Amino acid sequence: MSGMLYGGDEIGALVFDPGHHSLRVGYAQEDTPKAEIPAIVGVAPDGGPKLEPEVKVEGSGGSSSSINASQPPTSAAAWKYYIDTTFLHTPRQNMELHPYMKDGMIENWDFFEKVIDYSYAKIIQSESEYHPVLFSESPWNQRPKREKLMEIMFEKYKVPAFFLVKNAALAAFANGRSTALVIDSGATHTSAVPVLDGYVISNAVVKSPLGGDYLVLRARELLEAQGIDLTPASMIASKEVVRDKDKAKYVKKPISFAPTNSWMAYMSKRTIQDFQQTVLQVSETPYEERVASAVPAVHYEFPTGYHQDFSSERFRLAEGLFDHAMLGAGYIASTSAGMCDVDVRPALYSSVVLTGGNSLVQGFSDRLSRDLSLRTPGSMRLKMIAANGTVERRFGAWVGGSILASIGTFQQMWVSMQEYQESGKVQIDRKCP
Amino acid sequence: MADVRDIMELDQPVTPELTKEAILGADKNKKRLFNAGQKVSKRPEGMHREVFALLYNDNKDAPPLFPSDTSNGYKQTKIKLGMRKPRKWEWMSFTNPARSDNTLFYHWRRPSDETKEYPFAKFNKKIDIPIYTDAEYNQHLTTEGWSRQETDHMMDLARRFDMRFIIIADRYDTEKFPKRTVEEIKDRYYKVCGILAKLTNKKMYTYDADHEKRRKEQLKRLYERTPEQIEEEQFLIGELKKIEARKKERERKTQDLQKLISQADNQGETPRKADKKLPKKKITNPSRPSRVDTSHILQAVETAGIKFPDYKNSGVSLRSQRMKLPASVGQKKTKGIEQMLQDMGMELNPTPSEEICQSFNELRSDMVLLMELKSALGTCEFELQSLRHQYEALNPGKTLTIPAQLLTAGNEQEAVKIGEIIDVVGSPGTPSGI
Ligand SMILES: Nc1ncnc2c1ncn2[C@@H]1O[C@H](COP(=O)(O)OP(=O)(O)O)[C@@H](O)[C@H]1O
Repeated sequence: MSGMLYGGDEIGALVFDPGHHSLRVGYAQEDTPKAEIPAIVGVAPDGGPKLEPEVKVEGSGGSSSSINASQPPTSAAAWKYYIDTTFLHTPRQNMELHPYMKDGMIENWDFFEKVIDYSYAKIIQSESEYHPVLFSESPWNQRPKREKLMEIMFEKYKVPAFFLVKNAALAAFANGRSTALVIDSGATHTSAVPVLDGYVISNAVVKSPLGGDYLVLRARELLEAQGIDLTPASMIASKEVVRDKDKAKYVKKPISFAPTNSWMAYMSKRTIQDFQQTVLQVSETPYEERVASAVPAVHYEFPTGYHQDFSSERFRLAEGLFDHAMLGAGYIASTSAGMCDVDVRPALYSSVVLTGGNSLVQGFSDRLSRDLSLRTPGSMRLKMIAANGTVERRFGAWVGGSILASIGTFQQMWVSMQEYQESGKVQIDRKCP
Repeated sequence: MADVRDIMELDQPVTPELTKEAILGADKNKKRLFNAGQKVSKRPEGMHREVFALLYNDNKDAPPLFPSDTSNGYKQTKIKLGMRKPRKWEWMSFTNPARSDNTLFYHWRRPSDETKEYPFAKFNKKIDIPIYTDAEYNQHLTTEGWSRQETDHMMDLARRFDMRFIIIADRYDTEKFPKRTVEEIKDRYYKVCGILAKLTNKKMYTYDADHEKRRKEQLKRLYERTPEQIEEEQFLIGELKKIEARKKERERKTQDLQKLISQADNQGETPRKADKKLPKKKITNPSRPSRVDTSHILQAVETAGIKFPDYKNSGVSLRSQRMKLPASVGQKKTKGIEQMLQDMGMELNPTPSEEICQSFNELRSDMVLLMELKSALGTCEFELQSLRHQYEALNPGKTLTIPAQLLTAGNEQEAVKIGEIIDVVGSPGTPSGI
């Protein structure tokens, strides 16, 4: 059996990796998730007759997400939910956007279920009862939430088997380690999580609220202070070429209504995220105006057509991730390692795994390795493991889940429907450590 | 083998070749057939071996036109498409014996493998964590500080996390039970195991929690050194190395000195006594130690001064050749000799008559000896001084008075002394005429 050779055995499992920025969904044993769905749900009152055109399938990638469900007590009117990029990015009357994640954990279960419904219907396109499901969770996920997730998956989706793994452990697996210090820099936070033999040492997890969203916040301050128009691309019908730093000349799409504030905020955040991903860079050594301004500037054009050079600001903004005395990425990493048993520290330092979308900010890994090496005890070997590919880095936890769920020896770990029916949800802590 | 036999024109029965089949004893029929075939193709009388080999080789296929490797080691066989019906794979259910329930999972499998056990189940290894009964616990396992519940909890965690004590300590239920360190948990675990093992006469392990604690404390301190501390340590290690190197150097010099002294004692006597002593020794039966002694002294004599090579046996040579300093005399010493010769107003290369040649060589040998003695004296003096300093440092307030005869007081005296030494040492064989 060729599967034996590689230890793989595919059983048609699905992997879900919920994050603040997005939910990653796909089949186990594949290289990348089938879809990355923004972790935000648009809700608008259902306009009745408007329903028909919305439901029709448009092209390949984005198909309609309208899943009707009545919002229970607040109003009798039907609500319409908008999920995934294509639907979220179009302005709609009275569409309010709601995140369903908080602190790395699922907060709003109704919205979350809508997204899962959408995933099964449009992305997996198969019945949930045929596929075992592996979920990732943040290392500090709480027991009631774990139980609830298990309950929903078994009761509502009737999955044949379910498993829950800490995303840091998965990220370590994706990088070929079972023992590692995982530095995960996501949208809302950056965390340092020691993983030993695939188990997270939960008392030594350190996290800081400095992540991608923090950069967005700082970038927004800067751009707004400079009076730069952040109108999103989906509001713009046409634009003209203007000279560097000249006022943008563009025509707005004719929309009869004013988009909601939450939508505008979300869209401008997307705009800033793009700016942040293209322009920002972490300098290799602590920020110095003189050094930073010597680096060639980067040119960036906003959706409105306005464009200009950014030079030292690029570094000044990104510096926020590192210059904080207690929350900088290097600091939390060494603190976390310092909280572990002395015997495991050398192993942790010798495989520091970097993952999460925000770690893709230019220069992030170089700076982290510099900051960390200053804090590494002299006699220890420091090795940073950072996947080169954007996909591997952003979807680290998902890829790890994909690997784990398709390993032959893992198949005995699943919590099966039978076990769930026998012992209920309380066994989650025993079964999924 | 067959080739060799052919060349030797030997007509021996073919010994069966060593093949895997022969060793395994399988395929006997085939072997016989093979042998029979070989018998059939016997080389006709008068045919050249090479020609025969071209016609009939072992596997009887066409003779190679070009040396080629026909074994399938390197050549890849091409996939034959559409020749056979492909084997089927089916999406089928399976149960995993490693699971405690009989849940059906589905995967792709060959129908022919259906009856086989799930191949990964055999990797399901479990560590044996001992279990105890209530009676056993109450009788043997009660201790202060650990309740039955807590012990149960700890053993349960050990089972769940396969004795990964760091994880056990991490997941310990600190709401119900006090917080425990890794060492405390390990200690309790191994004590329980040890007692249970004793009851059943099994091998038991001991765990020294105190020692572990101390080890970890030290390790922690080692890791938590600041860069300055590490630097200081490096510096100190460097210094220690230097001190050791200096000590060695001094020891070496002392040895040299001893050698020189023994030489100085003996050199004067050797040439004169050599003739007398040796016959004497022959008369009085020489005891082993004395012989060792003399050889030691002789060696010392040889190494100090200049050892001129012996030209007697090396055929014809110019006598001036004998006055050439051997290569073993260093640059510095050569310079010193020249200097001294000039000071004495002597030629650097006198006419090499037999006598002059010998005396000149001896003179220069003495000069080298003198130089070595001088430097040895310097070393001694240095050591004396450093010992004095050490003494004074160890006994503050006291001074060490060095006996006058050990001190070289003034330059004049020194010069005289050295002169005396030379007189003493100077080989009596030196003709006074020079
Ligand atoms: N190529 C990139 N360069 C810089 N930042 C990126 C890049 N790709 C994603 N990000 C940032 O990474 C964050 C999302 O990271 P992710 O690990 O997906 O978060 P989460 O796990 O919380 O969902 C966002 O803030 C996004 O702006």
